[in-house]
Amino acid sequence: MAGRVFVTGMGVISAIGDSLAANRQALVQKKSGIGYSGPANSRYMGVIPFGGITLSDAQLRERTGVHDAGVSRTTLLAAHAFRQAIEDAELPATQLISADTALIGATTVGGMCLTDELYRDTNGGAQGSDYLASYDGASVQQYLQHRYGFSGLVTTINTACSSSANAIQYGARLIRNGMARRAIVGGVDSLAKFTINGFNALQILSPAACKPFDEHRQGLNLGEGAGFLVLEREADLAGKRAYAELTGYCNVNDAYHASSLSPDGEGPFLAMQGALRSAGLDTSAIGYINAHGTGTENNDASESQAMIRIFGTPPAFASTKSSTGHTLGASGAIEAVYSILSLLYQEAYPSVNFSTPMAETGLRPLTEYKPMRLQHVLSNSFGFGGNCTSLVFSVVPAGLATVI
Amino acid sequence: MLYIHHTTCISPQPADLIGGGGAFAPATREDHASVGESALAAGEDRVSLAGPVDGVYKVVEPAYPGIPPGTLRRMSKAVRLGVGAAMPLIRQGRIDGILIGTGNGGMEESVKFLRQIVDYAEGMLAPGHFVQSIPNAIASQIGLSRHLRGYNSTYVHRGLGFEHALIDASMLISENAGSRYLVGGVDEVSGYHYRIEAADGWYKPSVQPGRTLYDYDSPGSIAGEGAALFLVGGEPADALAALRGIETFHSTDPRSVTTRLQAFLDQHLPAGLRPALLLSGENGDNRALPFYAAAESVLDPAAPLARYKHLCGEYPTASAFAVWLALQLDVTLPSHLVKKAGIINEMQYILLYNNHKLMQHSFILLERYR
Repeated sequence: MAGRVFVTGMGVISAIGDSLAANRQALVQKKSGIGYSGPANSRYMGVIPFGGITLSDAQLRERTGVHDAGVSRTTLLAAHAFRQAIEDAELPATQLISADTALIGATTVGGMCLTDELYRDTNGGAQGSDYLASYDGASVQQYLQHRYGFSGLVTTINTACSSSANAIQYGARLIRNGMARRAIVGGVDSLAKFTINGFNALQILSPAACKPFDEHRQGLNLGEGAGFLVLEREADLAGKRAYAELTGYCNVNDAYHASSLSPDGEGPFLAMQGALRSAGLDTSAIGYINAHGTGTENNDASESQAMIRIFGTPPAFASTKSSTGHTLGASGAIEAVYSILSLLYQEAYPSVNFSTPMAETGLRPLTEYKPMRLQHVLSNSFGFGGNCTSLVFSVVPAGLATVI
Repeated sequence: MLYIHHTTCISPQPADLIGGGGAFAPATREDHASVGESALAAGEDRVSLAGPVDGVYKVVEPAYPGIPPGTLRRMSKAVRLGVGAAMPLIRQGRIDGILIGTGNGGMEESVKFLRQIVDYAEGMLAPGHFVQSIPNAIASQIGLSRHLRGYNSTYVHRGLGFEHALIDASMLISENAGSRYLVGGVDEVSGYHYRIEAADGWYKPSVQPGRTLYDYDSPGSIAGEGAALFLVGGEPADALAALRGIETFHSTDPRSVTTRLQAFLDQHLPAGLRPALLLSGENGDNRALPFYAAAESVLDPAAPLARYKHLCGEYPTASAFAVWLALQLDVTLPSHLVKKAGIINEMQYILLYNNHKLMQHSFILLERYR
């Protein structure tokens, strides 16, 4: 397939910061954003820990300048990270509205964070709320399309927790297939009663701060956030800064169970193997893995088996979800941003709260910040429905673009 | 180039709408059998068409042969429709991936779960509705049913989800020579979600029996549902049709439909040829008429026009039904489809234009081979 795809801008907001710099600083300092505060009006708030963003909806409106009626917190978080990304890439308005610019977003909760409004609107009869068009996932991209005047392809992907990794790969493939010249790709999810109660019903919410890959892990912490990346063609890089190259990706299905992964990690294995193949890399080329690592019994066991199957002895790996919580549809994009920061600053970010390796694997994630030589980083995202996607990001070859 | 090899459809219409019934009756038809004396080929409305019941077009669900009853009971309606329509296609051989567009797949289960959260004050809930609420349940359950571990994705961008699945399939085909994919659009009409959409003005407040969808001069349409799936690949041999072009965009200005459709046809239609037919997504919402008029204005004044939403109702992936229908039509159209009559010598190029909620637009250009 012709054409190489580079990341020329990034934006992120999560429990550990509302900018690239703040997120990196927290990762370097091993500061977790998991705690007992957050905006969702759930009875579990203050009882079990979450990776909530302390900014209120009003503060997010102020930051983003989004004052329209009918905009959900999910859209506000997306608007924040989206604006950072396009400003970071210095994309002019003329390029945003150009028909060869695509916007590919992802979310799982969408406007389902609007619990009370939705409850009333589904009772029927009464006058509808301001949020009638805001409950679905597409509402996020519809808002961005309208606000920025996109005339190219705009879409929304939902493959559960791998959603935004698939948005990234869809955007890259549009570019490689000549169907777009540039793509803004990413994902978002906000903390919501909907997902808090859903994961609680599945009994996979940890009562304490999550401990990915630990023998005594008790589940995941839900988080919220958004990440967006600007993808551009090699031919358009002249005079631009490029953070990284997206060299590999693979989407597969585990086809094992509706809400859990196979014990032998077949889906995760196939995703990682496919991403390496598409990048044309041997396993030895991967210096660091930003693992999916949710902290659930099932995911971490399955992902560990898959890493052992493919790498033998896996390279340095960690789960930054121990700092941000599991941001669901946003996690693939947020962790893509972290993987790229790792390449850019030649450093690997640690897992927090890990103490005891799993008996069956003995694997130890990185537990301290570590400067290291990195050429290629693998980022994993696996979701309900068996949707598994892995991405490979690589250092920009010298001479192709300005690296900061 | 993406070629369509097989198709299935579950729609509100009885199977004899397209004749023969096929192996997957009622309301579905497996593959592309000879239309013979079917209603669609007859030029007359020989069968009675199913209309809205209680104000909505509801599918006639098949018996779902091949799906164990226990599995069937656990599926939401959207998942049932998707898996049910996929089954005959899965039997056609290797499938390298599954791509599903759905505008409201999962919405009903989401609302059910959310209402439980409120009604039981966040007590201990059963996870069933939550697990089924994820729109990717359709594509993943199809994958799970036959252990299909290939590419698997779900597009939820309202009225464009099916188109974006089709675009992805065409990219996959160009990236992987010889590969074959299952691609389709699936949506259900359901109580809670219907209320939200109705409150937002997308459905007519009263549906009158005996009146056709296009006779109302009022805002809103009539809700519908369905599943139309396609087995696609890169090999032209034995194909029903080729996808010659596809484009989606957002705009509230009808003039953009005119300019973009003109450019689309210039780019994708071989010089000197014109579409045999425009199959239009007109849905009885008078606010959408300027967009459909804009599309019609691009074509030759003598070009025949047909419309189909009186068969399936309005739903986000209704354009998948339109593609299925486009593959069934003979040169003599049944009169209920005809908006403007014209001479069709050969049903070769068919242009589809759909508008969703006065904002989302899609053009699809098919070349029929048989």
